[in-house]
Amino acid sequence: MLFRLLLREVKMVAHDHSLLLTLLIAPLLYAFFYGSIYSYKTEEEVPIAVVDEDGSGLSQTLIRQIDNTQMVDVAAVTTLEKAKESMYYGHTQGFLYIEKGMEKKVLSLQQANMVLAVNAARFLPSSDVMGAITQVGLTVGAGVRLQYLQKQGMNTEASMQEVMPVTPDFRPMFNTRTDYGTFLLPGLLAMILQQTLLLGLAGGTAAEKQKQTFGAWMEMAGNNLSVALWGKGMFYFILFCCYAFFFLTVNFRVLHLQLLGNAWELALVTALFLLSLIPMGIFTGLLFRSQLLCTQLLAFSTYPIFLITGYTWPIAQLPEGLKFVSALLPITPFLGLYQGIVQQGAHITDRLPDLYHLCILWVFYTFICLLKMKYTAHKSPRPYAAV
Amino acid sequence: MIRAILHITLREWKRILTRPDHCLVLLVMPAFLFFFYAYIYEKQQAEDLPVAIWDEDHSPVSRQITFLLEQTPSIHITHAVSSQAELEQLMQSQQITGAVHFPKNLEKDIKSRHPVKVSIFTNAASLVPGKLIYKDATTVIVTAGSGVNLQKFMKTGMTEEKAMALIMPVSLTTYPLYNPTYNYQHYLVPGLITVALQMMIIMVAVLLLNKEWSEGTMDELRHMARNSAGNIIAGKTLAHLGVSWVNFVLITGIIFPFFALDHPGTTFHLFILFNFLALACIGIGLMISALAGDAMLALDVGLFYTSPAFVFSGFTFPRWGMPWYDQYYANLMPYTPFLDAFFKVYFMELPLRYAMPEVIKLLLFIGFTFFIAVFFLQLRLNKTVTHVIPLTAPGSENGGA
Repeated sequence: MLFRLLLREVKMVAHDHSLLLTLLIAPLLYAFFYGSIYSYKTEEEVPIAVVDEDGSGLSQTLIRQIDNTQMVDVAAVTTLEKAKESMYYGHTQGFLYIEKGMEKKVLSLQQANMVLAVNAARFLPSSDVMGAITQVGLTVGAGVRLQYLQKQGMNTEASMQEVMPVTPDFRPMFNTRTDYGTFLLPGLLAMILQQTLLLGLAGGTAAEKQKQTFGAWMEMAGNNLSVALWGKGMFYFILFCCYAFFFLTVNFRVLHLQLLGNAWELALVTALFLLSLIPMGIFTGLLFRSQLLCTQLLAFSTYPIFLITGYTWPIAQLPEGLKFVSALLPITPFLGLYQGIVQQGAHITDRLPDLYHLCILWVFYTFICLLKMKYTAHKSPRPYAAV
Repeated sequence: MIRAILHITLREWKRILTRPDHCLVLLVMPAFLFFFYAYIYEKQQAEDLPVAIWDEDHSPVSRQITFLLEQTPSIHITHAVSSQAELEQLMQSQQITGAVHFPKNLEKDIKSRHPVKVSIFTNAASLVPGKLIYKDATTVIVTAGSGVNLQKFMKTGMTEEKAMALIMPVSLTTYPLYNPTYNYQHYLVPGLITVALQMMIIMVAVLLLNKEWSEGTMDELRHMARNSAGNIIAGKTLAHLGVSWVNFVLITGIIFPFFALDHPGTTFHLFILFNFLALACIGIGLMISALAGDAMLALDVGLFYTSPAFVFSGFTFPRWGMPWYDQYYANLMPYTPFLDAFFKVYFMELPLRYAMPEVIKLLLFIGFTFFIAVFFLQLRLNKTVTHVIPLTAPGSENGGA
């Protein structure tokens, strides 16, 4: 019976070009399409302007060192007015102002000053530029101290030790380059998996109501709600297991992403995730009488869902009401487990609360889906009425 | 002609208010979604992130630095660990986001003029918290190092001013303009709202013509428009532009003031810019609707076209960091020039003239899409008049809500 329902679903999808697009083309297209944006993983060469009022050897060295960093591109050395205009037009992301007499001050043991103005309306480039230029400033400072100590008669080795008595040693873990792509891409692929499944499954279920084929679906399942649910769901489970496997092998390889944890544990977690999404998708679809409206409204769920999963913004920082909404989404515990296994080499046992959470959501959505199916079956016309 | 257009506009407003696939998307969803986005970032900044201390020195210096770390906004010390393995285990089980390690003999080495390294571990798989912890911890450690140097130089009889000049020969004063506190709500919410709005406009506009054909109401519309595609498009455009103004009022009159996101003095410029975006989106929707007879297919095309707008626009990840083909594709969406102009007009509070290159791009979108929409609609109108084809279209089974 389950197999007959699976075949029925295959037929239904094959005859509906919208479902075909959503279920067979969109997952692969989106995975490559979105993935390619972050294929370089990190931004480089953020353009800034420099206003060099000093024009000395030291300021030239400083500008050269800044330009040599991977993160900053000195796009122009210009006047203050032109530097501002360049930022206003969006050609540069900020400007560095070097005051007149900087070298003179440094040589006479007076503190000189530089001003860095960045366009912080864009977070990533501005914070990266500030980090890079601060680092260059510290290096220049260390160089000046080194020369001073050597002039005081200290040998090179001793003065090197004196220059930086306490230095921070940055050790980013699980994403050693702290790049945006490595951080975002695994989550993005999981999100594509979820959204295409929900759009397809909910849209297909809404179509059953719209075309009044719900009764035929139930009848084929022998009026057994669980059989109807998992018979229909089996097709999506198999299809999206294949997509998950494809993403984790082909897309991960193309995008140079690594799976640090155990693949079998990841397979188990992904299967659980898909099993909880299936009743959620059917339940959502049954709330609509029109496939079009269902697709239209679900299209707006992608960003809100992603933003409250804790992937980009910590769950602890969400308002209490949204923490509750976030806890109702299977992707929240899934991303906890998935991120741990994929990016941090963790085991399921390290994140047991997420595993229990996902299992509870599976049971919860199965229960409310069966309730909704029972209610819909009670209200819907018998199959002969549809004919 | 004007009368015909006004009649069509009135008719379209009635349709917007009575059809769920118009009303829910254009009038109900915006209020819900915009509040939702702003509410997510109510805390504005991530603070008090759990951090562990791995102190192998147990000296007054390590305790002093630990105290300073706790005073920073992002760091909250929650655990003490005794090895890197323990630290990694805590990160893997999501109990900490970062850790700071003080090596053995830290104080002794500082006093005996041996350089020491204080390690900052962050879970870089969680980029935002990791970067915040790194920034604050680095500031504390560099300040501590500078303090050590200051004391050393002053012990040699140097004045404080000169000692400071040696520690930081070239001080760097930074001005993060337009969002000095790196407030996440101020940064993300306006972008999320505008991208959702362009999506809403397009997702409804793709249904404007094909639904008329599939539901058999095009004949009535044609009579009102005196068989002119231009009149139909103009009437419908005016109606949807009017609804977009309602949403503009919702954004600038309610959401922005309620969440303190407003930039005084920018509303008028923003309104002008917003109209260009709304017209470009309506034009794209109408063009798709004129070309794709099947409403469901048109919706899928609209969904595929609009949903990546946020990431392609360069809002969170700059466009220059993307491969060339993605940069090219980004330029095929009206949200990309709108966003660039939005940054200038809204965040940077600049006059509209700075956004002229982007306005020209939006005008090109408007000109091109409206031309195609009118052209193909007129062709089809003429065809159905000449051959008296029944006013039905394929795909009608996917119809009404």
